[in-house]
Amino acid sequence: MICYNCGAELGPNDFCTRCGADVSLYKNIIGAANLAYNQGLEKAHVRDLAGAVSSLKLCLKIDKTNIDARNLLGLVYFELGECGLALKEWITSQNIRPTKNIANDYINLLNKNRGELDKYNQAEKKFNQALGYCHQGESLDYAEIALKSAINQNPRYVQALQLLALVCIKLEKWEDARRYLQRCQKIDVGNTTTLRYVGEIRNILDMDEDSVLQSRGLGFNKSKKSDIDVTDVKKESTDLYAGSVVRRETKTSSIVINVAIGILIGIAVSYMLILPARISAAREGVDESLKAAAEQLDAKTAQIGSLEQDIKTSQNQIEKLQSELDSYTGEDGRMAAIDSLLSAVNSYIENPEDMQAVAGYLDRIDESMMDEGSESFNAVYKLLMSMVGADVSSGYYDSGMKAYQEELYEEAIADLTKAYSYDNSNGDALYNLGNAYRKSGDTVNALDAYEKVIAQFPDTEMATRSQQHINELNVD
Amino acid sequence: MIDFETELKKFYPSLEMEDVEEALYKQDPTDMVDMVIEFIRGQKTEEKTEVKDKEEK
Repeated sequence: MICYNCGAELGPNDFCTRCGADVSLYKNIIGAANLAYNQGLEKAHVRDLAGAVSSLKLCLKIDKTNIDARNLLGLVYFELGECGLALKEWITSQNIRPTKNIANDYINLLNKNRGELDKYNQAEKKFNQALGYCHQGESLDYAEIALKSAINQNPRYVQALQLLALVCIKLEKWEDARRYLQRCQKIDVGNTTTLRYVGEIRNILDMDEDSVLQSRGLGFNKSKKSDIDVTDVKKESTDLYAGSVVRRETKTSSIVINVAIGILIGIAVSYMLILPARISAAREGVDESLKAAAEQLDAKTAQIGSLEQDIKTSQNQIEKLQSELDSYTGEDGRMAAIDSLLSAVNSYIENPEDMQAVAGYLDRIDESMMDEGSESFNAVYKLLMSMVGADVSSGYYDSGMKAYQEELYEEAIADLTKAYSYDNSNGDALYNLGNAYRKSGDTVNALDAYEKVIAQFPDTEMATRSQQHINELNVD
Repeated sequence: MIDFETELKKFYPSLEMEDVEEALYKQDPTDMVDMVIEFIRGQKTEEKTEVKDKEEK
C-alpha cells in the first residue's frame, strides 16, 4: 500500500512516515476494497459468476486502481459471454498499469483470434436485436430465432440463454426453457434470475406431471426423505439440480424401457416377416447359381467329349500318317525299295557279270512294292528283271538244287522260290520246289507247287510227275 | 408467477465492440478513494484557512 499524498510505502502506522498524512481512513477503504475482491475471487472459484461480478464491481467502486479485481472482472464478463464489457475492463486495466499486466495478454489473445471475436460480437448484436423484438411485444418468434442464432455463435452467452428461456416461458415451451436454463446453471451456478425461472418452471411442470401420474395411478411419493430433496432447489447451494433429479430419473427410466420394448418389437417383426422372405430370396439365388453351375458343367462336359473325339481322330490320323511315313521310310518302305532298285541298276551297269550282287539288291525289294510302286518304278524293275532275271534265276536254281541234293530242304526251298520268282518260265525250279516241300513234309505247299506246274507247264514230263506226286500225297 | 414485461426490464443491451471506446470515455473514474482523498484535502484546506484567519486577527 502506498501513500495517496506522496506515494511512499506505508507501514503499520495510521500516518505516512514521509509526509505525515493521515492514512487510517484510506487504509480502511483499501481494506474494504480488498475484502470485496477476495469475495469476488471466491465466488468466481465456485462459478457464482453473477455474485463475483457484483463483488468485483464493488471493489472497483471503492478502489479503481485494483488491477487484479479489474482483470478478474474482465475474465468473468468474458465467461458470461459479454465480450465488450470484458474488453472495456482490460483496456482500462492496461491504461492504469501498461506493463507487467496480464490484461495485455488477454487483449493480444483476442486480437489473434479475430474470427472468434467477430462471432461473439455478432452474437451480442443478435441479442440486442432480439431484445428490441421483445420490447415490441408481438415479435417473440423473431426474438426466439435471433436468440438461438446468438447462442449458436456463443454457446456461453448467459444473458441470451436467460432471455431465450424467458421467451420460451412466455410461449409456454416449458421443456425448451428448462433446457436453456440448465445450460445457464452450468456456466453461472448462483444466478438468481436463472434460479427464479427454474423454480417457476418446476412449479408449472409439477402441477402437470402430478395430474398425469395420478391419472395413471403412479403418484409421485413426495413424502419420502432422501439425500435429494425437492425443496433443496430454493437453497443457495451447489446441488441446485436436486429438485428435478428424481423426476428426470423417472422419465429417463421410462424412456429407456420404451426404447428397449421398441427394439424388441422391431427384432420380432424382422424375424417374423422380413427374415423368411430374405431366406427364400437367398435360397432362390443359390438355386439359380446351382442351375447356372450345372449348365456350365454340362457345357464343359460336352466340350470335353468333343475334344476327346477330336483327340481320337487326331490320333488315328497320326497313326495313319505314321504308317504312311513308315511305308516310305521303313526298311520295307517305298524309299528303301527305290533305293534297292537303283542300287541293283547301278551294280548291273558297273559289272553286268556279277549277277550275285544284282540279285542281292533285287532280293531286298518286296513283291508287294510292285502294287504300291509308281509306273516308272515298275517299268525299271521289269526291265531289269528282263535283263538279269534269267541269269539270276539260273544261279538260284543251281544253289537250290545243290541244297536239295544235300537234303538242306529249307535252303533249297528259299533258293528255288527265288529262282522261280526271277523267272516264271523256269519250270524245273517250280517242280523241284514242290519236291523240296514234299521232302520237308510241307504237303500243302508241295501240292500247290505241283498244281502250278500242271497249270503252267501242261503236257510235259514235269506235269506228269507232278500229277503222280499229287496222287501219292492225296492217298497219304 | 413470472411476469414477462417485468423480467424483461432487467435485461440490458450488451456492449458491442464498436461501442467499447465510447464507453471507456464515458465511464466515471472517480472511486471512493478519490472521494475520501478529496474530503481529506478539503478538510486540510479548511484547517489552513482557519489558521490564517486566526493569525490575521
